[in-house]
Parts: sequence; C-alpha cells; structure tokens
Amino acid sequence: MAAPVPPGAPRPGANSQPPPPRNVNPNYQTNPNSLADNMQNLNLNRPVSMPNSGPRPSPFGQQPPFPQSGGSAGFPGALPPMARPGPPPGMMGRPAVPPTGPPQSALPANVPPGRPLGQPSGHSSPFGSRPPPGSLSSSTGGAVLPSSAFPSSGAPSGGVAPPMPGARPNVFMSSPPLTGPAAPLSRAPAGPLSNGPPAIVSGALPGASQFPLAPSASQPPVGPPLTMMSARAPAQAPTMRSVLGSPAVTSPPVQPMPSASPFSAVPQARPPPPGSPYGPQTWPMQPQQGAQAPPIPGSTQAQPPRMFGMPQPPTNQAMTTIPPAIGQPGAPLSGPSKIDPNQIPRPIPIPSSSPIVYETRQGNSANPPPPATSDYVVRDTGNCSPRYMRCTINQIPCTADLLTTSSMQLALLVQPMALPHPSEDPIQVVDFGESGPVRCSRCKGYINPFMKFIDQGRKFICNLCGFTDETPRDYHCNLGPDGRRRDADERPELCRGAVEFVASKEYMVRDPMPAVYFFLIDVSMNAIQTGATAAACSAINQVISDLPEGPRTLVGIATFDSTIHFYNLKRALQQPLMLIVPDIQDVYTPLETDVIVQLSECRQHLELLLENIPTMFQSSTTAESCFGAAIKASYLAMKSTGGKLLVFQSVMPSVGIGALSSREAEGRTNISAGEKEAHKLLLPADKILKTMAIEFAEYQVCVDVFVTTQTYVDIASISVIPRTTGGQVYYYYPFSAVSDSAKLYNDLRWNITRPQGFEAVMRVRCSQGIQVQDYSGNFCKRIPTDIDLPGIDCDKCILVTLKHDDKLQDGSECAFQCALLYTTVYGQRRIRVTNLSLPCTNMLSNLFRSADLDTQFACLLKRAAIEIPTSPLVQVREQVTNLCINILFSYRKFCATVSSSGQLILPEALKLLPLYTLALMKSTGLRNDGRIDDRSFWFNYVSSLSTPLAVPLVYPRMFAIHNLSTKEGDESVLPPIIPLSSEHVSDDGIYFLENGEDALIYFGSSVDSSILQQLFGFTSVDEAPAQFVIQQYDNPLSKKFNDVVNVVRRQRCSYLRLTLCKKGDPSGMLFFSCMVEDKNASGPSYVEFLVHIHRQIQMKMS
Amino acid sequence: MSEMANTDPEGIDAVRMTWNVWPRTKVEASKCVIPLAATIAPIRPHPDIPTLPYAPLRCRMCSAALNAFARVDFVAKIWICPFCYQRNHFPPHYAMISETNLPCELYPQYTTVQYTLQLDPNNPSSAPQLPPVFVFVLDTCMIEEELEFVKSAMKQAIGLLPENALVGFVSFGTQAHVHELGFSDMSKVYVFRGNKEITREQVLEQLGLGAAGRRPTAGYPKGLQNGFTNSGVNRFLLPASDCEFTLNSLLDELQTDQWPVPAGHRASRCTGVALSVAAGLLGACLPGTGARIVALVGGPCTEGPGTIVSKDLSEPVRSHKDLDKDAAPYFKKAVKFYDSLAKQLVSQGHVLDLFASALDQVGVAEMKVAVERTGGLVVLAESFGHSVFKDSFKRVFKDGEQTLGLCFNGTLEINCSKDVKIQGVIGPCTSLEKKGPNVADTVIGEGNTTAWKMCGLDKSTCLTVLFDVSSTDKSNAPGVANPQLYLQFLTSYQDPEGKTMLRVTTVTRQWVDSAVSSEELIQGFDQETAAVVMARITSLKMEMEEGFDATRWLDRNLIRLCSKFGNYRKDDPSSFTLNPCFSLFPQFMFNLRRSQFVQVFNNSPDETAYFRMLLNRENITNAAVMIQPSLISYSFNSLPQPALLDVASISADRILLLDSYFSIVIFHGMTIAQWRNMGYQNQPEHQAFAQLLQAPQDDAQMIIRERFPVPRLVVCDQHGSQARFLLAKLNPSATYNNANEMAAGSDVIFTDDVSLQVFFEHLQRLAVQS
Repeated sequence: MAAPVPPGAPRPGANSQPPPPRNVNPNYQTNPNSLADNMQNLNLNRPVSMPNSGPRPSPFGQQPPFPQSGGSAGFPGALPPMARPGPPPGMMGRPAVPPTGPPQSALPANVPPGRPLGQPSGHSSPFGSRPPPGSLSSSTGGAVLPSSAFPSSGAPSGGVAPPMPGARPNVFMSSPPLTGPAAPLSRAPAGPLSNGPPAIVSGALPGASQFPLAPSASQPPVGPPLTMMSARAPAQAPTMRSVLGSPAVTSPPVQPMPSASPFSAVPQARPPPPGSPYGPQTWPMQPQQGAQAPPIPGSTQAQPPRMFGMPQPPTNQAMTTIPPAIGQPGAPLSGPSKIDPNQIPRPIPIPSSSPIVYETRQGNSANPPPPATSDYVVRDTGNCSPRYMRCTINQIPCTADLLTTSSMQLALLVQPMALPHPSEDPIQVVDFGESGPVRCSRCKGYINPFMKFIDQGRKFICNLCGFTDETPRDYHCNLGPDGRRRDADERPELCRGAVEFVASKEYMVRDPMPAVYFFLIDVSMNAIQTGATAAACSAINQVISDLPEGPRTLVGIATFDSTIHFYNLKRALQQPLMLIVPDIQDVYTPLETDVIVQLSECRQHLELLLENIPTMFQSSTTAESCFGAAIKASYLAMKSTGGKLLVFQSVMPSVGIGALSSREAEGRTNISAGEKEAHKLLLPADKILKTMAIEFAEYQVCVDVFVTTQTYVDIASISVIPRTTGGQVYYYYPFSAVSDSAKLYNDLRWNITRPQGFEAVMRVRCSQGIQVQDYSGNFCKRIPTDIDLPGIDCDKCILVTLKHDDKLQDGSECAFQCALLYTTVYGQRRIRVTNLSLPCTNMLSNLFRSADLDTQFACLLKRAAIEIPTSPLVQVREQVTNLCINILFSYRKFCATVSSSGQLILPEALKLLPLYTLALMKSTGLRNDGRIDDRSFWFNYVSSLSTPLAVPLVYPRMFAIHNLSTKEGDESVLPPIIPLSSEHVSDDGIYFLENGEDALIYFGSSVDSSILQQLFGFTSVDEAPAQFVIQQYDNPLSKKFNDVVNVVRRQRCSYLRLTLCKKGDPSGMLFFSCMVEDKNASGPSYVEFLVHIHRQIQMKMS
Repeated sequence: MSEMANTDPEGIDAVRMTWNVWPRTKVEASKCVIPLAATIAPIRPHPDIPTLPYAPLRCRMCSAALNAFARVDFVAKIWICPFCYQRNHFPPHYAMISETNLPCELYPQYTTVQYTLQLDPNNPSSAPQLPPVFVFVLDTCMIEEELEFVKSAMKQAIGLLPENALVGFVSFGTQAHVHELGFSDMSKVYVFRGNKEITREQVLEQLGLGAAGRRPTAGYPKGLQNGFTNSGVNRFLLPASDCEFTLNSLLDELQTDQWPVPAGHRASRCTGVALSVAAGLLGACLPGTGARIVALVGGPCTEGPGTIVSKDLSEPVRSHKDLDKDAAPYFKKAVKFYDSLAKQLVSQGHVLDLFASALDQVGVAEMKVAVERTGGLVVLAESFGHSVFKDSFKRVFKDGEQTLGLCFNGTLEINCSKDVKIQGVIGPCTSLEKKGPNVADTVIGEGNTTAWKMCGLDKSTCLTVLFDVSSTDKSNAPGVANPQLYLQFLTSYQDPEGKTMLRVTTVTRQWVDSAVSSEELIQGFDQETAAVVMARITSLKMEMEEGFDATRWLDRNLIRLCSKFGNYRKDDPSSFTLNPCFSLFPQFMFNLRRSQFVQVFNNSPDETAYFRMLLNRENITNAAVMIQPSLISYSFNSLPQPALLDVASISADRILLLDSYFSIVIFHGMTIAQWRNMGYQNQPEHQAFAQLLQAPQDDAQMIIRERFPVPRLVVCDQHGSQARFLLAKLNPSATYNNANEMAAGSDVIFTDDVSLQVFFEHLQRLAVQS
C-alpha cells in the first residue's frame, strides 16, 4: 500500500485515523521471512521499566518468557538479517507483514500518507507517517494496532493504571481546573513535583520518592531542588493538565496540582520531553500512566515519570528560585554541596494520554504555544501552528533597548513544511485563479487574517507595511458589524494563520518541475567491501516503490569510483547501458536524455541494475573516489529540470574536481601545536564545493549525502553542498553493513516520502518596526531578502533572526508572514503562507514570562553551531555561557521580586536554560576531544534541526529497559525518563538513551543474564556484538522493548542508530559522556554549574 | 598506345621513372624541365619475385642490402656494395657461395627479392603472429536510414574479418563513446566530451590504461612484446570471433545521436575527439603493431577539435573560394589538429581510414593529412547506401582475388648512388627525418630523409620519389665515374597474416651526358610517368604555395620542354615537330589543365582532397586515367576500340565507355538509346543489339571490380542530364561557336574552353619563339 499513498501529498489528515501500524516491516526484502526479521528488529517493545526504583515489580514478571524463536526466525542463520548488507526492513509497503507478535489489528492503509504503513517494525515510526500513537505501541511485530487501540492502549497498559483508559480525553481543556481534579491520586506525589515551593520532585515517578529530600540516588532525579516559584506548582499542573487534556483519562495522574491553578490555566506547560508531535498521544499517555501508577506498585511499570522542573509556567510570571539551599546567603555560594541535587530544575516529561488542544489565538490575541516537544493538536484560529513558525519570545519587545536589556534573542524558527499532528486540519488550499492571491501592492505581503478591511471593504490596510490598498473588485465583500468581512470565516486566507495559495503563471518562470530523483552511489573498493554499496542499492531498490507515481516522476542513477558511471535506462534497450565519464577534472553528462527517465519506463531496468551493481564492481580495485566530479556530472544531467540528488558516499573524495586531502591528520598536529587554528578543520577545505553548490542551487538541484564510512571523509567540506542546496547529511560512522543497513533504508525512505517541495523560494516579512536580520539553515541565499531552497521538507527548520528598525506600539501586534513558493512532488506550484501575529510589550517581565524555552534554546544551539567553525572553541563556549548568565542576570536584576541575594532566581519559563546550556557545552560540537567529522556532522545537523529536536540533541532521553513492565495488556509505552546523571545508572540495569538521531543501549556490569537473554538473545554482557541489530524475541520484555524503540522512532521521525555500550569499554565512556549532569572533562556537574552561574550573577549584581 | 603495347611497364620492380637515362649534372637536369623522379609501388605483387626465408646481408657502410648489382669476389668471399663501394665479407653461412651457387638475391633477374624477417632469429617459431587490428569509429549523427546502412555494412565487415583480428568500437556524435567490449555484465561505454581536445595521456588515464606504466619505448615501435600483456587489449579490443555477437547486438541497439539538434543547426559531431580517442586507445593497447582506425563519417565535424564548420546551417561549409580568400575560419586550426593526430598515429604505426558518406562535405580536406600520412584508405560517397561506399567497404575486408592486400607498419628506405640526392616523396607516407648524404637541400613533399614510414600500405600503393643530381659536375671526371647509377628501395612491413616482410628492389640506370647527346635522353623519356609526376607536383604546389598559378606553370614548363626537345625552325610554328617519345605529353598537359586537379573550382575542397590523395597513391596507369580518361567506343561497325577523347567521338549509333577513374560512364548515342527504349534488345532477332548493349556493361564491371575505391558508374544517354559526366571530359572541338560545322548525330559542348587544336597552335607558336 505504501506505494499508493503519495508521500508528500496529503497531509496527514488522513492519519487521524487509527494509526497505521507502523510496525510493519520494512525489511527490505520482500519476502516474508525477511520481513519477519526485520520486524523484530524494529519493534521490540519492551515493557516499560521504571526508572527509579530499580526493581520494579513488573520487571520480574516479565522475565519468564524465553526468547522465542520468533526472533530467531527472522534471522535464520546467524546473520540472517541481511544477506545484503543491511537491508533494512522490507518495505513496508509490502503487505505481508507478518506481524509477528502482537496481534495487531489490521493496518489501516490509509494512515500515513506517504509512509508506508506497514513499516517494518523497525523504522516504522519515523517514517511512517506519523501514525497515531497508538499504532506505535502496538507495533510489535510490525503489526499495527488500530488506532483505536492506541488510545486505549495507553490505558490498558496500565491495566493497572487506572486512569488511563478511557481516557483519551477528548477533552483537553486547557483550563486548569480540569487538571486538578482529575487525578488526584496518583499525582499526589506529583504535587510535590511542581516546582513550586513544593519540591519539584520528580516524585511522581518513583511513586515514592518524590521529594526532593529524598536523596534518592537511585531515584530518578527528580526534582529539582529548587523550588520553583510559585510558578512551579502550577507548572506541574499544567503538565498535568495538558495531560489532562485528556483529563478524563489521565486525570488520575494528574494531580493535585497544588496551587497551580493560575498557571495551569495555560496549557502550555508541557514538559518538553515527550516528544513527538505525532505519535503523540500515545506515548505521552504512558508516562502519565506511569505516573499515576506510582502508587500502585504493581501496577504498571509506569512510574510516574518524575517530573522535574516544570516547563513553562503559565502566563503569570513565573519564576523558579533555587533557594537558599544553594547559596549561602552571602554571596558566594559555597558549594554545590548546598544544593540538593534532587531539587534542581529538570525537564518534566509530560504525562499525557492525549494531546493538548491548542488554539493559536483566543479572544483575539495570540495564545502562547505549548512546548515544542509536547504533544498537542493545533486549531488554527488566526495564527499559524507553532510547528510552522514560532518565536523565541511570544511577545515582541517594543524597542531594541528592551530586547537588549533582556539579553534574549529575538528570532523565529520557521519550519514551513512541518508535519502536522494527524488530527489537525490540513492546510487549506485557496485558488485565486489567474490573478493569483491578493497581495499588498507595496510590500507584496499576502492577504491574511490580520489585514484590516475598511471603507465597507473597498480597501484594506496591510498589517505588515501599513499601506492602504484597494480591494480587487472581485474580492470585495462588505463588512459585518464587527468590522470583519462577512465572508471572513468562509475564506481560509482570512481566518487561518496558514494557507496555501495556488500559484498563478506569474509565479512560474517555467513549468513546475517534475519530481526528479537521481541516485549516485559510491562503488569504490572500500564501499564495495564494507557492504555500503550493497546497502545503498538495496535501500534504493526498496524505495523505488515509494516514489510518487505518475509520469512526472523521473529517476536516474549513476555510480562512481575514480570515474563516473551513468546508466542509460531507456526501455528500448535490452539492458541498461553503462556510460562512463572518465574526465573527472572537467565533467559533463554523457547523454542529454535517457539518463533520467520516467520511472514507469525504467522500473525493471532499474531494479535489475540495482541488484547487479554490487556484484558488477565486486572485483574493483579502485580505491579512489571522485565524489566532487560525480555530483557535478549528476547535476549536469539534472540541470534542465532540477531535482533531488541522493548521494551515497563511503570514502573521502580523493580525485577529480573538489578532491580533498586528509587534513585531519595534519590537523591533529596543529592541535597539539596550539589550538589557535583548530577550528579551521571545521571549515570547508576550499571554495570549490561551495561554488558548485551555489550553481546546483541555481538549477534547483537538492543534494542529500549519505556518508557510510569507516574513516575521515571531511564532512566539513562535503556538507557545504547539502547545506547550500537544502539537503542534509546522513552520517553512518563507523558504517556497519549489519546494523546500519536498516537505518540507511529507513532514512532514505523517509527522505523520499516525507512531505516536501522543490524549487522553493522563501521570504519572511515583518511588520514595520521589525525586520529580518538574517536567515540560517540549509539553503542558498542570493539576494538578502529571499532564500532559495532547491528542496524543502518537513524536517528542515530555518532560523530567522530579527532586529528592530523602529519602535513598536505597546498594545499593538507585530505580524510575521512567511511565504514559501514551492512545487509539490506532483508538480503543482503553491505558495504556503504562514502568519503569526504577536502582541508587543514594553514590559520586561512580559518578555521573560512569554519566553519560549525550546525556541530560545534552539536558537542558541543554532547560533553556537554557526560559530563553531569560525571561532575558537573557548570563545564559543564562553559566549554560550555568557548568554545564559546575561539572561538570568537581567531577570534577576529587573524582574525578580525576591530580595535575597543568596538565591538563584530563574524565570519560570527559562528555568531549564542553565541545564540545557550545560548540556550544550558538553555536546559533541562544543567538545574538542571528538573526531573532526563528528563535530562537523554535529553542527551541520544542527543547522537544519527542528525546534522539537533541539533539546533532545543535547539533553537526550534515557529510559531504563531492564525492568520494563510486562503486564498483560499493557501496551503502552515509554517508561519514565531518567535524569542524565550517573547516579541514576545502576550496575544491574540496562538503559536506553536517545537524542533523536542516535540511541545507546547501556549494560551495567551486573545485569541479570536472563534479562539479557530476553532482550538480546545473549546471556552475558561480554557476548554483546559490536554490530547490533535489534531483534524481537518472543517474550514480553523483548516486545516491550521493541515497542519502546518504535515509539521513539516514530516520535523522532528517525530510525535511530543503535549502539551497545558496555561498562569499561570505550562505548561505555561514550554513554557516560552523555550524562550531562555529571562532572566530567568537558564541564562541571549541573550543581556546580548552577553555582557558577549564581556566582557570576552575583558578581554582576554587585 | 603505349599502355596497350606494354601491359606491364613497371615489371618486377614496379618502378617507373620520368627519365630512364639520367643527365650527369644538375644544370643538365634542370634543362630537362621534367624533374627526375621515380615512382615505386613498394609491395606490388609479381609472380616472379622470390621470397627468401632469411635476412638480407647489409653493407656495413651504407647498409644497403646485397643485390644483383653487387660485384662479388667468390674467392675472397667478398662483395662490393654498388652504392658506396665498400667491400664486405660474406658471413659464414654464405660460405657455400660460388659462381654456380648463387643465393637468390644475386641472380641478375631478381632485382627485386623479398625476405621474411623474424624478430628473433634464434627462435623462428616465437615470432608472434600479429593479428590485424581494427577500431571502428562510427558516426551516429545521421538519419536513421543512413545509420542502418552503415550498421549493416559494419556487421558485414565484422563477419568478414579473420577470427583472430582484434576489433574495437568507438561511436560518436556530440560525444565520443568508447565501447568496452570485454565487459560482460552489461554494455559499457566510456564517454568523452566532444568539445574538448584531449591528449593521448588523458585518454590513457581516463580509460584506465595509463597507470599500468607500460609505456612503450618511445620512437619506433618494435612490434609488440610478448603478445598482449596489457589489460586494455582485453577490455577494449577483442578477437572478432569473441566479440561478434556483442558487437552485433550493440549495433542493433545503437541509436542515432540522442543530443537534440536545434532547428537550423547541424548535428553536433565530434569527429576530432573520436579519432583522437581511438588513436589514444590503440596507442595504449597496441603501440607499434599494425592497426587501423576505420572511420565512418556521415557529416562535418562541428564540435571540438577538428571542427570544420559551425553548427549554424546558414553558414555553408568552406569552398575553394573561401580557402583562397582565407575566409575559412576553421580550416587552419582543423588541419593543425589532424596534423598532430597524424603525428601521433605515425609514431604508433597506426592507420586512419576514412569512409565519408554525405551529400555535403565532411572535412576530407582537413583530414587528408592524417589519412595520407598514415597511408590510410579514403572513400568518398554520397550515401552509406551507395555502392561506392558499400562495395569499397566490403572490398577492404574481403579475402581472395580482389583483396587489397592491406599491410601495416611499413618503412621505406632508399639507398642511392653518391651523386643522387633525394628531394622527397609524394604519396601516402611520412618522413622519418633520417638524414644522410643522399638528402637534397630542396625539399618536395615528405623530405629531409632517406626513410619513410608507411603505416598502411597495400599492393597498389605507389610513391613518387623526386631526385636531384649533385651539382658537383666538375668532380665527376668522366671515366672515373661509374656509368651506372643505382637505386635501392627497401620496404619492410607487416603483411596481412602478421608476418614481417622486407622487400628489396634495386634498379640501375645509366648516366648520360646530355650536353653531348640528347638523343639518348629523349629515348629514356617516359611520357606517361612524366605527366603523372607533373600532375602530382602541380597538386602539391597548389596546396603548399600561396597564389600558385598552376595552369601557367604547366604551360611554361610545356613550352620549355617543347622548346628544348622539339625540332623546329625558330619563329616558324609550322615547322614544329616533336619526337614520338614526347608526342603524347602535350595532350596529357592539355587534359591536366582541364582536370579536377587543376580546375578545382568545380569541386568542393573535400572532393579535391579526395582526388589528390588517390592521384598520389595510385600507379601510373591509373593516375594517367585520372588525368586523361580513356574512351572506348562500341558500335555495330567494329570491335570496341579506343576513341578520341573528343566530342567528335559522340555519335548517335555508338555506345561510349568513359573511364575517368572516379567514375565510369556508359553513354548511349541517341539512336542506341531509342532502340533500347523500344526494347529491341529483348527481341531474339536483335541479339546483336543486346550484345552491343551488354559489352560496355561487362567492361565497366571489369574495371570496377579491380578498382578501389569502387568508381561511380553512370549510365546515361545522349542529351540526358547525366551526359555531363562524359561531356566534361571531352575535348571541346565542337562548341556552340562552331556548331554549324559539326557532323550530324554529333554533339556540341557548351563551353568557352579552348580545344586541343587551339591549344596546340598556341603551343607551337610559343615553343618556336626565340
């Protein structure tokens, strides 16, 4: 089915339905067996484990089962999995999904649009459409649960958990009240959580341990010691509430929000963690459940997640204080010792069984959005969904001075093609016919709900530039008594923040381009021998069926080593004809036609060719790679149309245009010689590739590079091409044909099937007084106002920094309009217009209250990433820290009402800023002990990273998986999140840590061998394979684990690269380097850091 | 007529000279007007030539081979070289020599002998049998129909190749495609862009043949070492038996060039690049062994190096007028490119054959240099479907009677007596720049050497060697000087079977003191050869000398010749008579002046180049036909007989057969045509008429069968449009100016050209002027 559904197309609205099963497997092979195999990999769900207390009851329960053959079946022989190098799971498309395990109900086909339904277990989620959450959970075997299942699932899982069940609350009220009521019980502990004075405890989780006090080492890190200001209490509440949204259901969990009410009112408070937008409900639920559960021991595993600090406080100004604990009254804080680690602010997972409903505007004013990472459903009531565009501050400072004083940054994070929640309404398409959309004749802003019609509708005032235009005659409509046009509610462009206009001829310089996919595969000796070529070919082969159907889909393929090999796929030929371009200094395309042909005409040739390529070059001894020349030649072949160029590369480009040298080695010497120029290695080696990239962009060629390598390839240089052309780099290092093939396939599949557009141009317009300062992200900019995006997709996010050029009126609104002109995969030219209108304020405290933590942090992260290659690392780190300090100082100085100088007072909205800042400092990009390529990849990854993934990147989620609950019928999902501190990692545990891209599975040194056996099929940590492929064994624990992984995949839209980590091994070190709250070589512990900040602020104060 | 009388004027030696007795001094020689020249067909087969299975003895001084003119001292076992008078001892294996036991090369009648050479004398069996190598270079910028013709011609050719012949394939259009025939997984092609000049090194590297580092030692190819060690051979060149299937299916799928051609434009065709790539490929795989590049070209090169015209159709291909006015912007550059290609091919020992078939020009004029220097074949036709191409092409590959006897890798060395100097050679060869005492100061054609490379040669290949005599007339005290002069031609080559052969031809001629007796000199004059040599020199000068007035130059020389050798009273034209030995020469000159070689403006530069290449490589008899076509008349009244090449030969009841070498015209008189149209030949009672009609057809076929390239056969009727092919060649003794004088049934030619008679009148007048 996959095939039929066009990926890009429809919005997920469809999804709304039951979630598709994601699990289907994707293995790639078509044949059933393979599928089965894959499935295993993917979906194993495992029961949720409980974080804190180690041994939760549940765990044990599970154990019994022995590994079933199921898993094994998949892999017949040992390697079974992929004969080929890693073929990923079969396609999902392929029907046969054998759901191994779980009974899934049928998979709804419809579900995700582009995504195939049946995902193989493995990837299911990510790619698959975002199926509703439910699906996730179910998916063990690839089977999918019906959506309906899902909701329930949450509940059920909890069998135990009381609340959940029915819960799917439809109701989300935002109103606080709800929350409160609902779940009294469970939450009880929760109460404490809230930052508020009460301890922030994470309490919830452990059920027991809630209080800060409890030093629970073992416990989850709960709460932040600090009390949150009043806010916190509420904060929690919010979460809950949000959770609540489903109140009914969840309610239980919910708690008692303490005082909260005020805050609670605002929905926003969701803790970031939960993540994925899509799959939302489901998992969120889980946590919740868990949460509730606490009380009940046996009950679900779900421990309530501990919530740490709450996320944002609601409207009121909230602030978090880190109380005295910390500092002595006196200035200097004495030591960290004083701070109770359990009370420091930490992210609180949001437990929620169902997403919050968020209305973008209420009462004719902008409604601050929920955290980017939370699960919410948007109702567009004038402003666009925050998924498309969100601002670092939800109120706009009237003057530049005010902004400067706050030290915060004013920027928009724009993700114009972002995936909506399945149950959101799709963006409406408006066709103005030949004349095209109504626009302001001065600033060319597009008609939007904030344009004010006057003079009986004969004129309208542009909300962006203030100019008064005549209403076109055929667009005229009288005004109603409320001053709005009478037809405002019927016209999407007048009542919705996001609409799409059908582009008229004047928006086209040529006919909309066809969907062109050109695959370029490295077949040099190294690529062949590591299985990278086979993996790539196999992935492409499976993905062919996911390409959009129709005559407008063109494909081409080429391979390269020291020369470039094109293939003439024309149907008339008996077999493909290989055309070699040997001149790699001055390349050209070997044919003008026939190298790129209609998919329908060449499918057989293409499949045959892909099967043959790995063997055809089997005996190749060519070690050289002419990457630069190859992409140039491919570009020349695509020049007349533009399109997507997908490059699979395994070694450093060593010959031809744009050849690179192994400067890493030289770089090492430089580093030891003195760090001065160390960052130069992170800059492109020369301008050749950049020049090429700009040319590519001009001809609408978007390049994605899949780097499957074992060595240094100079990503810093290579990445210039994808960055400039709106593509991205995928990095598999060290590449393993066994474990990475599935991810390669899934990444490729998602790349092709996700909603996307071609030959796009984007511009953001702002109201008078504000202007765009700069754009950053993956695009090409030729003129200051617009950015060219040869390709734009749902995952790409662009940072738009803003500056004042005038004062704004207090009480007025400042509008932002992002217009994206693009071509759909089906060749329609569209203009997607997203509008955001935010109130202006003169009050500093409003700025702090309305600061958007996720967005602020994403902005901070991206700016740091931009700096990394051009500034010495020390300087970057210092800037990051200073920014954090300055913001907090500004708040402390101008807004905090508390007088005790000994307290570290944090604005409620930004109370996690120090933690994230610390995490950022310890991230790959800001450490200098990492490989150059890792760092290059890191900051490239960041450049297009979406807001919801920004925090997880530096502050990953960690779950315990050795004690996932195995209760019958408990289908749901994510276990509680554990703070990233080694205190919470016990020797007999197994932990799963993920940042949206990579996932680490860590084994303590004394893990119960039966658990190992159940989860991984081996009994001793020593047997852990270096190349890991997740499998599902026939036991509840394994299923549960697979479920968890699949849920995460779905949330992140990423297959995750799984790595096993053992204590005492380099891999173990890697794991511990993610424990950002620990003190380590790259930075102080969290507590120490807070002390440091506090000290700095105090110094500034005095 | 002389050719009737002497059917084999070349004899065993295949050598003809303008003068068969030589004036002693330079001054005397220059007075002879017609230069001293010899033409030689180096490997012309002759039943009497013995083949010796050993290597010749060489003079240790001048390295001339032992020959029948050497004086031998049987007692001392010593021979004296007739060229340098060096005394050489016979080696031990000649110990048996005696007056009654002569080795073959010393028999007086064997002035020409042939040796089979082995690379390794110690191990004759190790001599590699070098298979012939063919790289087909096929143009794909043509209409489907033409492509089908040429494909089928190629398939047929491949089927005719010996099984062991190595075959490579390059196709080209906008880009050049080198097909890797040895790649079994799928069709694999290396693509070279057409608009960029590519060096040999780049070709090697880009085909993956470079790094191997098997760089043949520079200079002259020693033949191939140890068979084919080199991977390029297995990848790109395969034995015909192995790749016939592959090639056939490849040809089946081959399409016309897929690059779009905008309206009003020529197809973009990178002939130059394709040829350099093919040359590079051969250079990498088989340097020094015989190989041919067979280029099948369907239009002008418009892309990259070697371009002869722009793509814009509104710009016509250069004409002679453009060349004259220096208004052909691409010409010189293209010639330079092909010249360098020629150098490369020569250094590799490879041949370029050009088969051009197109209605318009394809650039033969520019490519001439590469074809001629390498001794390649050239065929110019209107279409690949035309018999001129089809039959000629087939002939190249066909075995048996009519085979061309294609040989490779030839080298010609000339030894000559002390006072003889070599100015140069006109013909399909390249100077090897081997200096020696016998090299003249003035150079004509490929000079400055006593050795020439002939990458390709066949049994009809003919070279013209121009001599000078040393001007030291004083030093030759009569009596001391040898009365004979000697010339020795040594030709080594690889025969079609891959054997290395050496042919030695030694000829002697007599010195004469013309100041004393011009009678001897006159008797030694060969008018036919002289006419052909003059034609070749004229062609060369027209190409080489700016503003050269050929007609004038020919007239002047003819007048001088007549003045010198005619008998007359001063200033009395009517007293003028010419010795029979010279009697035909003025007529040859008359026809040469009117021929396509001199009157180039009637032809395109391509045609002219084509005609000249053939003029230069054909034997004297054929070349003479090109200059002065032969005309045979068929009638009821008599047996077929030669007719005057004059419009007066046209008669309503005759059939004429004109052989102008490039075309053969069968011309039916009006009455004959009417009878034929009425079908009399089909009636039993008119069998004689049927035979009359058939006779010229049979004769034409006979000529066609023996000629390469196959001539165009034109069958026409009097007053038909095609009759122009005949009329153009006839002496316009009857024109519209004197139409009233003509006999009934005859014809007139609409021209202002002077007739032979007028020409003679003027000649006589001028010759006798004091």
